[in-house]
Amino acid sequence: MKTQLIQDLEALVPRFAEALAEADASDVEAVRVQFLGRKGSLAALMAAMGGLDPQDRPEVGRVANAVKARLAELWQQCQERLAQKAQGAAMPFDAGDPAWVPHVGALHPTTRIQQEICAVLQRMGFETVSGPEVETDFHNFEALNLPPGHPARDMQDTLYITERVLLRTHTSPMQVRTMLARRPPLAIIAPGKVYRRDSDLTHTPMFHQIEGLLVDREVTMAQLRGVLTALVQAVFGASTRVRFRPSFFPFTEPSAEVDMSCVLCGGRGVLDSGEGCRVCKGTGWVEILGCGMVDPAVFAKVGIDPEQWSGFAFGLGVERMAMLKYGIGDLRLFFENDSRFVRQFA
Amino acid sequence: MLLGLSWLRQWTPFEGTAEELADRLTMLGLEVEDIRDPFAHLTSVVTGRVVECVPHPASDHLSVCRVDVGGAEFLPIVCGAPNVAAGQMVPVATVGTTLPGGMTIQKAKLRGERSWGMICSERELGLGESHGGIMVLDPKLSPGVPVPDALGLERVVLDVSITPNRADCLSVLGLARETAAAFGLPLHLPQVQLTEAGEPWSFAVEAEADACPLYQARLIRSLSVAPSPDWMRYRLLACGMRPRNNLVDVTNYVLLETGQPLHAFDADRLHGGRIRAARTPQPLDFTTLDGQVRRMEPGDILIWDAQGPVAVAGVMGGQDSEVTETTTNVLLESAVFHSLSVRRTARRLGIASEAAYRFERGVDQLATTWALDRAAALMAELAGGVVAPGVAGAEPVPYVPRSVSFRPRRVFQVLGVDPGEEFAHKTLVSLGCAVTNHENAWEVTLPSFRLDLEREIDLVEEVARFYGMDRIPAVLPPVSLSLDALAQADTSFAETAAVKAWGKGAGLLEAVNYSFVSAADIKRCGLPLEHAVRVANPLSEDMEVLRTDLVPGMLRALRHNIAGGTTRVRLFEVARIFVSDAQRETTVAEALRLAILLHGARFAERAPYPRGEVAFADIKGLVEHLLVHLGLGPCRWLVEQARPYLAEQATAWVDGRSIGAVGRIAPSIADAYEARGAVWYADLDLERLLAMARQARLRFTPLGRFPVVRRDVTLRMGWDISVDQVLGAVAAMQEPLVDEHFVLDVYHPQDAAVRHVTVRVVYRHPERTLKDKEVDKVHSRLVSRIVQQLPVQVV
Repeated sequence: MKTQLIQDLEALVPRFAEALAEADASDVEAVRVQFLGRKGSLAALMAAMGGLDPQDRPEVGRVANAVKARLAELWQQCQERLAQKAQGAAMPFDAGDPAWVPHVGALHPTTRIQQEICAVLQRMGFETVSGPEVETDFHNFEALNLPPGHPARDMQDTLYITERVLLRTHTSPMQVRTMLARRPPLAIIAPGKVYRRDSDLTHTPMFHQIEGLLVDREVTMAQLRGVLTALVQAVFGASTRVRFRPSFFPFTEPSAEVDMSCVLCGGRGVLDSGEGCRVCKGTGWVEILGCGMVDPAVFAKVGIDPEQWSGFAFGLGVERMAMLKYGIGDLRLFFENDSRFVRQFA
Repeated sequence: MLLGLSWLRQWTPFEGTAEELADRLTMLGLEVEDIRDPFAHLTSVVTGRVVECVPHPASDHLSVCRVDVGGAEFLPIVCGAPNVAAGQMVPVATVGTTLPGGMTIQKAKLRGERSWGMICSERELGLGESHGGIMVLDPKLSPGVPVPDALGLERVVLDVSITPNRADCLSVLGLARETAAAFGLPLHLPQVQLTEAGEPWSFAVEAEADACPLYQARLIRSLSVAPSPDWMRYRLLACGMRPRNNLVDVTNYVLLETGQPLHAFDADRLHGGRIRAARTPQPLDFTTLDGQVRRMEPGDILIWDAQGPVAVAGVMGGQDSEVTETTTNVLLESAVFHSLSVRRTARRLGIASEAAYRFERGVDQLATTWALDRAAALMAELAGGVVAPGVAGAEPVPYVPRSVSFRPRRVFQVLGVDPGEEFAHKTLVSLGCAVTNHENAWEVTLPSFRLDLEREIDLVEEVARFYGMDRIPAVLPPVSLSLDALAQADTSFAETAAVKAWGKGAGLLEAVNYSFVSAADIKRCGLPLEHAVRVANPLSEDMEVLRTDLVPGMLRALRHNIAGGTTRVRLFEVARIFVSDAQRETTVAEALRLAILLHGARFAERAPYPRGEVAFADIKGLVEHLLVHLGLGPCRWLVEQARPYLAEQATAWVDGRSIGAVGRIAPSIADAYEARGAVWYADLDLERLLAMARQARLRFTPLGRFPVVRRDVTLRMGWDISVDQVLGAVAAMQEPLVDEHFVLDVYHPQDAAVRHVTVRVVYRHPERTLKDKEVDKVHSRLVSRIVQQLPVQVV
């Protein structure tokens, strides 16, 4: 009786293994019930243990437990095998199948380069400020040392709203607004739209500028050069060279025009093909911005003592930077909002 | 300013190349934009000797010539000029030359005779007006020399861009001064050999102090008007001026030389022997020498004789006193006029004369006499005249030398580099300053021709210019931060950037439209014009009004995309709108808006995307997505007519405040912008959204730990109530066990008047597992309340 029971119990293992091997996903559950169910083979044999001599029970019990564990193990392995089989059958796949790509959006290139430039300047400690696009003559011209009738007003053809109100021709009025609102030290940048009465291949009536202003004790032109060199090299690469050339702006003195080595020809003026470079017209330099030391007359207008404080200011054209950086040849593309154009700046 | 290199070299012995000069001037702030050969088009026109000249066998006015142009063979040329003759040296346009008139010379046959070139007149070469016959050159020239060289024409002209402060450089003299200072060269002024002769004369000259600080005039008698000699005509041509006659040309020539505008009156057409420079007290009509009747306004400065006005001071002369072919006596004016007045008058009259350009910027009061004498001497020389003795003039405001105090250490303080006191001293002296050394500051007397130098900082700039701004080193400044700058920082840039980043992430392309639109655009969109801001001097009708809504620009962008073949359009724009507001300093209120536009297929037409057009759900979804992004919500939607350009539309409300409108562009408007199919649009008040987002407090909610129980209810409802009301009713009950609730499904049965909306309510207890029975109780209470409150039935 005892021996027979042990044999029957142990025989369950190969029988179960065999039955599982022959079963597929549809009838495997029936096999489980047949062996492991409440009325299955294992349960029947376990129930038969009740008729044994009490002294034989521990031995048979140990065998029964071992068999039970082994059957559970076989069941587990079978499950995994079937799961794998099921997956493999449902999903043969081709990595070349078209992907479900979510909608791709993009920033306008003006925004993109503007944010890049502002990020560099913000890392240096400049704070970003904003102000009105419709300005008073005072903020746009007079306070910047451009009194009515000044010939330098011709440098910027103005769109007027009324005689004293206009669309700002540059972001420089933000210098005035900031200096009137706060006391030095000041370190601000002001990105934004500006407007000129000008429209041709290389001019649009609206474009973007970024103004920079630093007012502190003992600010020098060498520092101005440092900030602009760092900016240009951060945006266009560390090998880019920067050139300062004297110029004139009524609100800075001394004033300089800043050129950088040409992005296309690397400042050589000729391309590898031997052709003259069209971007810099063969000079190796492209003009990118105007700058200078804040004119004492501007300080006087905003009530800052030029003997105590000094400062520098600069203003750069955002579209021009974007054209140079991304190799865009036609300014008008910036305002047509062609999806094929904007999408390229994702 | 066009500067002839050989002209410059007469004033200062600069031996270098044009490129060297251009580089140096550019780095001095006098940007050379171009170096050009004004006669480059004549390089293939060469000197030729007419070796043989016989009448054309088939014509009575043509000649057949053989011309030696220095080549191996003589050129056969048929010539129609009556004055052509054997032995002459003539200009020959060789085959391939394009003449100024546009004609290109080709090998031709004229009535059977070969003609391989063209013998040219002065006019055909663009060198003068004379076209009576061919130009006959100096017989001593060799054949085959390019005509520009044979005639000694200016071959190198620098186009120098002069900034508005450097009026002194609007002349050969001024640029020669800079060149001399830059290269350490001497400056040679031309010798003025003025011989006065004839009867004494007198002219009573008066000048109003605030209009004309200095007026001087000379009388030159017995002149004969004729074309100027070649050298003067060619030089004027090279510098962009059209030669007229020997009197007018002299005034232009001396203007280019010295920067002093001059005016020649026909002395016999002036009345009463008196000249007055004064503002007109009342409006009057005046005929300028171009024959136009101009309206003069009070304040305009005019030159008057005893009878009336004879010139618009510094702008343009009058027709009745102008120099003509028959002029013999000239009153030559050299004056200084009030620059602002000249500018105002010239601009109002729309006259951009060389004279006005210089008077506006300021002329050297101490140089007027020299320019007057130089011009008088040249007129006498070139037009056979006699300069009458003496100068008539008035100087109500004599020039007073100006000086400033200059601290050499300021150079280092401003530049951050020290060129040294010696360098500063040398530079100032080379620029014409007189420097007197004191302890810490120098007394610098400024040259009369540098009106832009007024202050110490201006002299610092001069030192920097000559030291070389490009030699200033680059160092980074310590940037001082203030508490205010951080605590009260202007965060709008970062906030706007975050919204744009959202747009990009949401799969939208950023548009940048012009801030101005046409009034027609605004009207077409049904928007009011009364508070719109108009541009007083718009570039075109398309740009006459500042936009009061972003929609016209977005629709234009849509049209551009459709025209370019893009039919699936997903755009957003962040920009300001403008409306009049008298309370503001600028009279205009500006507000930031966000516009979103969707049009066409929801997805690209390709695998694995499903087909289908964008719908209300898409635009509404984007707005709700943005609100989540900004930490705002929930959003309530109210069907109301809020935007005139939207057909089906709803307003969005957050915390009881309207934040914008969403809907479909009215088909008639969409049609006007060539859109086929629905255009879905959102107009959001970004100013308000950003302010609300700034206030929004983010608080953590503990995570539910016990399992949820879901119950669904399907309601039949008509179109008279909104799905939003059902959801709102559930929310309003504030049932504590409700974790969330949402629309699970919407089914449209055969009967189109109703729909079946399945709402799923998810229940959860924060501290224990819910029993089915208690959920059933709450759920049935909730459902019966909805059915009581709203016109819906449980399906």
